[in-house]
Amino acid sequence: MNYPFWVVPYLGSGWAIGIMSIIHIFVSHFAVGGGIFLAFTEQLAYTRQDERIYDYLKRHSFFFLLVTTVFGAVTGPGIWWAISLASPNGTQFLIQNFTWFWALEYLAFAAELSTFFVYYYTWNRVSRELHLRLAWLYFGISICTLVLINGIITFMLTPGSWLQTHNIWQAFFNPTYWPSNFLRLLIMFGLAGMYALITSSRIRDENFRAYMLRYSARWLLPIFFLGPIIGYWYFSQIPQAAIQNVFTGIQNSGVGNFSILARATYLALILSGTILIFAFVGPYLNPKGFSFKTALLFLSCGLLVTGISEWTREMLRKPYVVYGYMYSNGIRKEQIAQINQVGFFRSAAWAAAARPVIPEPATMGPVVGKGEVIFRYQCMSCHTQTGYRSMKRLLGERDREAIHGFLQILRQTDPEKNPYHGIMPPLAGQDEDVEALADYLNTINNTQKQKLSYAE
Amino acid sequence: MINQPAPKKLLDWLSTRLELEPFFYFAKKKTVPVHKHAFWYYMGGIVLVLLIEQVVTGLLLMVYYIPELRSAHASILSINSQIEFGWFIRSLHSWGANLMVFFVFVHLFSTYFMKAYRSPRELTWLTGLVLLVITFGFGFTGYLLPWDEMSFFATKIGIDIASKTPLIGESLANVLRGGTDIGQHTLSRFFAIHVMLLPLLLMPLLGIHLWIIQAHGMSEPEPGPTDTSDEGSYEKFFPTFILKDFMAWLLILNLLAILVTLMPWGIGQQADPFAPAPIGIKPEWYFLAMFQFLKLLPPTVGPIEGEQFGMMIFGGIGLVFALIPFFDTGASKAWARIATLFGQAVLLGFIVFTIWGWVS
Repeated sequence: MNYPFWVVPYLGSGWAIGIMSIIHIFVSHFAVGGGIFLAFTEQLAYTRQDERIYDYLKRHSFFFLLVTTVFGAVTGPGIWWAISLASPNGTQFLIQNFTWFWALEYLAFAAELSTFFVYYYTWNRVSRELHLRLAWLYFGISICTLVLINGIITFMLTPGSWLQTHNIWQAFFNPTYWPSNFLRLLIMFGLAGMYALITSSRIRDENFRAYMLRYSARWLLPIFFLGPIIGYWYFSQIPQAAIQNVFTGIQNSGVGNFSILARATYLALILSGTILIFAFVGPYLNPKGFSFKTALLFLSCGLLVTGISEWTREMLRKPYVVYGYMYSNGIRKEQIAQINQVGFFRSAAWAAAARPVIPEPATMGPVVGKGEVIFRYQCMSCHTQTGYRSMKRLLGERDREAIHGFLQILRQTDPEKNPYHGIMPPLAGQDEDVEALADYLNTINNTQKQKLSYAE
Repeated sequence: MINQPAPKKLLDWLSTRLELEPFFYFAKKKTVPVHKHAFWYYMGGIVLVLLIEQVVTGLLLMVYYIPELRSAHASILSINSQIEFGWFIRSLHSWGANLMVFFVFVHLFSTYFMKAYRSPRELTWLTGLVLLVITFGFGFTGYLLPWDEMSFFATKIGIDIASKTPLIGESLANVLRGGTDIGQHTLSRFFAIHVMLLPLLLMPLLGIHLWIIQAHGMSEPEPGPTDTSDEGSYEKFFPTFILKDFMAWLLILNLLAILVTLMPWGIGQQADPFAPAPIGIKPEWYFLAMFQFLKLLPPTVGPIEGEQFGMMIFGGIGLVFALIPFFDTGASKAWARIATLFGQAVLLGFIVFTIWGWVS
């Protein structure tokens, strides 16, 4: 176990990562999909020797440069900063397990940026043949960044036979590696088309504007025709327990554990369906009536679907960071028995050092309680005190004994005895740890605050 | 003829039998003005789409809803928790209703400020106002049907307010309640009004409203001093405008889908008429402004009861709205200015009192 906590009040550390990651995905998918768009479109301009397409591409590539480098440069490091604080164990494990793949990813990323800068700043400065080759080079390198990072991201949900063999190639080429690669490529095509609709809608020449809007709208076709097939392939490779967790009972109640994931999935499907119709009746059938503002709204719908889908994929993994291996609180599955045996504080390397770095809550007296340390370590990766997935709300009217009883259920690793098995990590620790945590939780939802001593 | 595609052949077949040629001619000739306020033209279409959504989801809910005192709440619970995708349909109905009322307001004020009520569109305006009242009626009657704590007491307050209407108040309240207390008769009446009476009133009136709009075409606002190039230009209704309209509908349906999936509509505890009213009972947001305004009034204003005075003010505002086409005819700049100021004052008051009611 590693650093115990990073407190993000109300929002929770998970959302701090989530918000940055989702924004980053909007950019990174454009960086790859937009690169493919640039290469294909420049090829078209070159083949037809169409100056209007060249002029359009120069403007579009400036937009591309701004979006991918400015936003990408902010959100990319932001994710690293957030995950290393919020999930140090998971980050450490992924870096160690995929060291060479990360190194290659960095190389590809640096090459991608450099190539694009060269591409952008050599408009009208090198021959058209050479410039076209630069476009295809960028296309190739950006695909490399996708296929490398995809192996690591998919591993987190479907580590597959790596769990038994610990073979790095099996980790990288895990069960969802290929469907995810294809699915992401399709999404990138679609997003590239949507971003291109923004720039195309600003073209002044009416006829050329209509031509480019129709051309850009066609980039959405692959995801809508092949997406369902690849999506089925992808979902068939995901652990069925995860799928079951999400969809059980959702048709009937719309509420309950993880039902938000199923509802989000329905929303993504509805939005995707309407995007297809929108693309057809808007830029394709009626390009003259497709304005810049409409293009922005259209892109918002596309980004919303992308964001929801990514969030759902992330949540499918719960309660793990690496499915079946490491829980979302950073405790490895195999560590649970050991922590239960020797106690939480004898297993946590940073527990002793935790005391001086925790700010003193006004309600808790002069020293921080053991229970709060356990809460921050084992619960706070998913819950906050009073904000997102608020403990105050979830504990409701429970008194100290009821909370203690509930925690005893969470300790069970047998699914028959623990209804939260598969949804939450089991609570790890000895009886005294559970007592301390119950004491602390009791201070969150009950007005009678208890002063606890870390030194107890 | 033999080489024609199947849809065209079908269309020709129907056209011959249903005499559709004039309709096609009309659709071909119909145009829509293009100007910087043209955005507001989409509001009416959005309301219409949401109304269709209300009809479809309402019919589906009727399959399982039981308008009986002991079963109403349980049937909604069953729709929410046992019927497959019942929660989805009910949330579509409830969120859709709120969105519809919102867009009715937007449609009302946008046509008002564009002076679309002026000759020859007085009847369009008046039918629109009646449709607004019918929409309120749908909201008020539909709110009670789940028979939960909040809806019961909010309806009680609503009927109490309605009873303060001068002259007809008490009779109106008695008719709505079906007696002196809210009970089975009230539920039955509200259900009948919600699913039969109001739709029967709405359909022909909506038909007239739409027919007059088609007859006169879209109203064009007077160009302002800064309005430029696009003034005086038109676009074809079919297919240019209708395709854009369609995109607007899709966006609104997406908004509805977001609300429904991320915030499914819940239900409170079953109503207990003998229990004390819970603290903080409030009506639906579109009645909040009136509710808040009435709360601020003293018990009596001169010789008149406070709430009755308030109802007279609301009636007065409604009357001015109804008569405005006959004063602001476009002939007098002073009347035009007064009408605009009046509309702005009402809109501002509505927003301020709604927010005030929400936070207080």
